Amino acid sequence: MEMEHSEVSAREAVAFPSVEWFDSLAQLMKHNRARNEHLGFVDCVTVFTVLDGGMRGKPWSVQVTFEEFEATDVREAASADLVRADFTLEATLATWREMIESIARGRGRPDLTHTLNYLSHTGTPIRVWSDDPLRKDMFFRFNQSLQEFINASGTFQTIFPD
Amino acid sequence: MSETFRVDSMRPLPPSSSMNEEAVERYETEFKQHATKWQEILERNSERMKKGSYSLHWMNTDKANWGRRAKPSSRGLTYTDINNVPGYGAIPKKATWLNFAPRGAVRDEYVSEMPVVDDYTLVDRDESWAENVITLYEEAKARQWNATRDIPWSELERLPDDLEKATCQLATFLTEVEFVAGDFPAKWLYKIPQDFLEVKSFIVTQMMDEARHQEVFRKRAIAGGGLLHASPGFEWALKAIYDAPTHTMGTFLLNLLGEGLVLSIFRSGEMIAKTHVDKEIFRRCLQDEARHVSYGVLELKNYLDHAPDHEKALEEMHRFADVGEQVILTSFSEAALVEPVAILMGGGLDKIDQGMEGQAKLWEMSIEEYLQRCDRAGFPRRGRCTLPPEMQWGCG
Repeated sequence: MEMEHSEVSAREAVAFPSVEWFDSLAQLMKHNRARNEHLGFVDCVTVFTVLDGGMRGKPWSVQVTFEEFEATDVREAASADLVRADFTLEATLATWREMIESIARGRGRPDLTHTLNYLSHTGTPIRVWSDDPLRKDMFFRFNQSLQEFINASGTFQTIFPD
Repeated sequence: MSETFRVDSMRPLPPSSSMNEEAVERYETEFKQHATKWQEILERNSERMKKGSYSLHWMNTDKANWGRRAKPSSRGLTYTDINNVPGYGAIPKKATWLNFAPRGAVRDEYVSEMPVVDDYTLVDRDESWAENVITLYEEAKARQWNATRDIPWSELERLPDDLEKATCQLATFLTEVEFVAGDFPAKWLYKIPQDFLEVKSFIVTQMMDEARHQEVFRKRAIAGGGLLHASPGFEWALKAIYDAPTHTMGTFLLNLLGEGLVLSIFRSGEMIAKTHVDKEIFRRCLQDEARHVSYGVLELKNYLDHAPDHEKALEEMHRFADVGEQVILTSFSEAALVEPVAILMGGGLDKIDQGMEGQAKLWEMSIEEYLQRCDRAGFPRRGRCTLPPEMQWGCG
């Protein structure tokens, strides 16, 4: 069921990390279709990993499939899903939290030191990896769309585990 | 009071020969040579028109791929969609149609009357084809942006003098180097026959991308203070690309190595940007650059995979890369590039040393990425690469 932009904004805070949080971004991407059409289509499968975001501090991953102007599938990533992924972005919960909070403070735009590229360029604190350099290059080819996908988190409140 | 100007008092201009006289003469000779062919067509058509009669031969679909209609996919009607229609998608290994007749049109019966375009010399598909070229073309069209409108120029902030100069020098470097990636494809575009229309189409998007990059960095510099220094090291690297002996070699040097390194610079540029305007510029540009890199990787792979003598092709590429890597390195050792990046990375002129340390780490990463891309293309440069794996800074 399609969720309206206002519904995402107005509802209760969404927990991070969770499939629901990424699904909210997917719904917002659908809602902001005109903006995404302007940026151009995006075709890649991305895994976001929170290195200490799972049970008992284990890694937790979500896989987001981008097709054309939408995120068409959001699912918790099992190891079998990783094969489908073009690239993975992985970082600790603290790093993701800092980035999301920066986006929230900037009302949908991170400060200069919290963009996806800034945080990943030197390989730390976000590591972008893939077995195939061509598939890793998709992170660069669709960078603006991926940044704006994440930036949409600035429109709703995120809660983090204590 | 000045003397009254009178037209009839003017002396006649000395007789001048047209600067284009020789060229026009050559053109006349060329077309007179072939007059029997094109004049015959002209006379035939004129006669028919004078008679007021119609030909309507073009309505005959016996030899056409008529009626097999292309169907759009969800994102519109792509080259892949139309290539799926029988009769249109077979890309010849060697182009024999050296004119403008479209692939898939009824053209065989007209060949004897058609001219030959002598410039179409890149007739082997594997000298320009890449498996991803159609995807990249569609992506390039979909992700075009406008350097005038899509950058929030009104948010541009004035930076401290050292950072502004460093930003403007980096923009000057990028203005200087970007359009070789327009000129190099242009140098080969007109040599590629029409049957390889997908490659031609992609190359045109690359030229458009580079025009926009040159534009956006020129604008950034002039909006921030001005263009600063050109550098001889940049020029030699650009010449090495422009003068590459084959399309594949030049594409390797430009797209795989050169643009791979520039992609790293764009990523660094985004990382070290001191304004949101600069961040947006670099983010937009790095997307375009990554497409060019992807084409370069798979173009080289396709060339090597299909080379009749694989070992010979590989060795020629290695010989070329041995020189090309070193000439490209001249650009990446220029103070006019290395120092502004270090200042931006460190956060000021007084922190240039810290910036150099950061840059040294990025150099290692960039070289590793280059070697990974070479591996992906089936071109093993590890062990033979002439680029230093570590930045040569303070080690002498």
